[in-house]
Amino acid sequence: MKELRGAKLWITIGLVALSCLPALVVENNYLLQVCFRIALFAALGLAWNLVGGYAGQLSLGHVAFFGLGAYGLAILASHSVPVPIAVLIASLLATLVAALIGKIVFRLRGPYFTLATIACGEVLRLTATNLNITGGAIGLTVPTVFTGPMFWKLYYLSAVALAAGCFLVNFWTANSRFGYYLMAIREDEDTASAVGVDTANYKLRSLLLSAFLTAMAGALYGSAFQYIVPDNILTIDISVQMAIIAMLGGAGTLLGPIVGAILLLGASETFKTQFQESHLLIYGILIVLVVLFLPEGIVGGIEQLLRSRRKAAKPPAPTPNQSPAISAVEKGN
Amino acid sequence: MQGKISLILISAVAVMVTVGCQKGAGNTVKVGAITSVTGSQAAFGEAHKNGYAIALDEINSKGGVLGKKLELDIYDDQSKPDQAVQGVSKLVDQDRVPVLLGAYSSENTKAIIPAVTQRQIPLIIPTATADNVMDSKSPWVFRICAGANDYAKATIAFLKANGAPKKIAIVYENTNFGQANRKSMEAAAKEAGMDIVAIESYEAKSPDYKPVLQRVKQANPDVVYLCSYLLDASTLMRQSQEVDFNPKYYTSAGTGFAAAEFPTAKGAGKNAEYTFSVSQWLPAVQWPGSKEFDDAYFKRFNSHPAYHAIQAYAALHAAADAMNRAGSLDSAKIRDAIKSLNLPSTPFGPVQFDAGGQNQHPVLITQVQGGQYHIVFPQDAADAKPIIPAPKWNERK
Amino acid sequence: MVHFLQACMNGLLTGALYALIGMGLALIFGVMRIVNFAHGSFLMVGMYVSYLLFERLKINPYYGFIAAGIFLFGFGYLVYKLLIQPIRDRSDFMQILMTTGIALILVDTAQLTFGADYHQTNIDLVNRAVHFGPFTLNAASLLSFGIATVFIVGLREFVVRSRTGQALRAIAQNRDVAPLMGINVTRIQGFSFALGIAFAGIAGGLLLPALYLFPSVGEDYTLKAFVIVVLGGMGSIEGAAMGGLVLGVAESLTSTYIGNQWALAIDFVLFLLMLSLKPSGIFGRQRA
Repeated sequence: MKELRGAKLWITIGLVALSCLPALVVENNYLLQVCFRIALFAALGLAWNLVGGYAGQLSLGHVAFFGLGAYGLAILASHSVPVPIAVLIASLLATLVAALIGKIVFRLRGPYFTLATIACGEVLRLTATNLNITGGAIGLTVPTVFTGPMFWKLYYLSAVALAAGCFLVNFWTANSRFGYYLMAIREDEDTASAVGVDTANYKLRSLLLSAFLTAMAGALYGSAFQYIVPDNILTIDISVQMAIIAMLGGAGTLLGPIVGAILLLGASETFKTQFQESHLLIYGILIVLVVLFLPEGIVGGIEQLLRSRRKAAKPPAPTPNQSPAISAVEKGN
Repeated sequence: MQGKISLILISAVAVMVTVGCQKGAGNTVKVGAITSVTGSQAAFGEAHKNGYAIALDEINSKGGVLGKKLELDIYDDQSKPDQAVQGVSKLVDQDRVPVLLGAYSSENTKAIIPAVTQRQIPLIIPTATADNVMDSKSPWVFRICAGANDYAKATIAFLKANGAPKKIAIVYENTNFGQANRKSMEAAAKEAGMDIVAIESYEAKSPDYKPVLQRVKQANPDVVYLCSYLLDASTLMRQSQEVDFNPKYYTSAGTGFAAAEFPTAKGAGKNAEYTFSVSQWLPAVQWPGSKEFDDAYFKRFNSHPAYHAIQAYAALHAAADAMNRAGSLDSAKIRDAIKSLNLPSTPFGPVQFDAGGQNQHPVLITQVQGGQYHIVFPQDAADAKPIIPAPKWNERK
Repeated sequence: MVHFLQACMNGLLTGALYALIGMGLALIFGVMRIVNFAHGSFLMVGMYVSYLLFERLKINPYYGFIAAGIFLFGFGYLVYKLLIQPIRDRSDFMQILMTTGIALILVDTAQLTFGADYHQTNIDLVNRAVHFGPFTLNAASLLSFGIATVFIVGLREFVVRSRTGQALRAIAQNRDVAPLMGINVTRIQGFSFALGIAFAGIAGGLLLPALYLFPSVGEDYTLKAFVIVVLGGMGSIEGAAMGGLVLGVAESLTSTYIGNQWALAIDFVLFLLMLSLKPSGIFGRQRA
């Protein structure tokens, strides 16, 4: 098990180095922007993965944190807070809000939880549209972190750095007691609770982590495009995209959200140029196909395939019929 | 599994092929345009596309630009500001267009100003009423249409010359367009010493504005200034009748109240009667070529153009004219040619940009009379006298 | 006082249509526990069907809605058989994802077919108002209210009295035991889904004269439908009807006394309040 982990780590370090390549090779600003988006949404997918993948809580309100990051940056910067500090404070504020939201929504289960998260995102969007401090529907200008001719290259590298950070957080979570408890909650919350896991606490922690990272991504995104409006930066579409990226690639896996981001955003850009008006249709068809035929997502599907091959290779040892939740908790303890 | 890998590969190849194929043929000149082909503003993006199309044909039939055929490179911003910014990158960095037109809405336009300024490419804005669009004072930005402040000032001037009412109420939709126009009218009314008795916003696309209108009615204004898109205008008038709201003047910031369908059965029908609106253009206006534009548009697209179409038309003509006079595809030279542009008689009226890049486009005030728009202000452009006050609902036939 | 009552009355008129939408979702979500995030999109399809009938065949939406309902019954059944039934026993996650995908397909297909333009059907009835005393009510809204009430009562009677209706409620109470009672669960579930979608279509047809029609018009209504179902209580058809009326009145009062731009927000506030304080809803029996 350990050598596998080590190999995975080296592979991923290599991949990160490889993803920096476009910054050196590509001169076309348009392509760099596309790459920036892909990297940023990979980061978002990974951030969402903490709550939606490992903890199994289908949140469709993550855009709330995304928007809070962007608006936080814009509002703080307009009060002369230096940009890097503003990004940090905005992200911390978003985490605070996440704590509040978590208190409300984590009392609910299943579809109620999802609906409550949607409601939170929408309330935030409506509030931003109606308040003066957020510029209402007219929006706000966002200051940039970088300037100069290397603008998009630097932004791309920042997005890669953020994605790498999110990946590390995922990696650490997947291999820690924290992560195992989350997975126990995902498999069977009642059983996990009965076995002594403080489910409310761990769910909240995953949300706080996830919110912080999402908000940083939001601040980065807002400052890259320099102008934000509620309908654009607090729209439920972004929440849905985050969830779909993770699920398409494989929720609860490490590489899943990354693969999902590359695939979905790459396809979207291509389709936009070729099929302009039907990229949403293709999105929808992709989702339906994945749910019908590849519910574990791409990476999840591959992992399952490898697992079943390994099982076929050696005869299975007799294991007691145990709840997957308890297995996860035991792994963590 | 194989299928998924193939999909990734195909996508990657497709992207590269698309990118590679962007090298333009050497014997055409390209102008870039960003507009909302899809998304919530798609209806207006289509008006832009159509206006551009008519201008394109006219320009090419007269020899094109710099002796070559003119082509329009359109980027769809999906009605989203960040996509508009991406569009600038694609059109300028990749397709190397020397001049840009666009975008459609105020927020999309405002979003692309930094990108355009950074790349030092001239931008001609056909449609963006929020005045904060011109805030940056960038020397590369030119706006051909009038803004929200002009709307408010023209309305106030009209009111002053026609009865000088004292009390005004502002009703606006809760969008960028509505909020921008509300700000402008609030400022202009205050400056004119009018008494603002009510300011109410409403959520566009909701079917029931009666509570809003009820509250405004209770404030008893002489004038109501409505800032609405398309179909909200029809609903507002119908529900004004229902709550029996009778100000002396119904005025508006155009768009919904200036749409071609508004006075017809497809819009508000008889309820549209007596409403005033600001307008940037009407088919019936006295500028040379406007009737021909209307005819050409109707023949080709089977509907009558709203002013967004002719704004796009005028913008493309201005760009072509500037490129021809600059005699080159150098962006700085084109920008200077735009600065010195002077087209005294186009179907969109005189086009000339002031030191701040703004075209002083005259704002007309129209009134619906007998199911038709008539220009009632300013006097020298008017073709009818305004009917004031608007008769009460129960007195109308 | 007059204004308060007027606002309540206007709210009830809108609320009846909300009730239809909510009851449709109650059939699907409450009874079958299928999380249908495409409910509003089906409503939109119903609107387009009525619109087409009006534009091409000059059929008044107040007749056309029947056709919309029938079409959506069949369409809903098809969607269920092809896309929902295969994933019936998967997690809520998957259902939400699947129905979100369906919604995207429906919306984009509508946009490709009809364009993103806003359309409005102008029927004379919409311009007429009924006055009694100090109150004014829109004639078209009154008609919608009347028709909706007929369907609401009809559905309730059906669910309570008929064999199929009782089978439905049996499945809602305990899906595992129901087959032991001789209920063909698969067939009833398909029927239930189709019926729920049909109701969305009917509501769409009735809403057409009052609303603007464009491809994403249904999105707000999906959320509203869930709010209504939660307000009324899971598994309760009457609850959903009540929930719809309550929502309509709440929106109208918010619009009148606080401001129209907050009317949408009240949906969410009520939703979150209900979920936090009494998750089983006003009429609910089951645990949330």
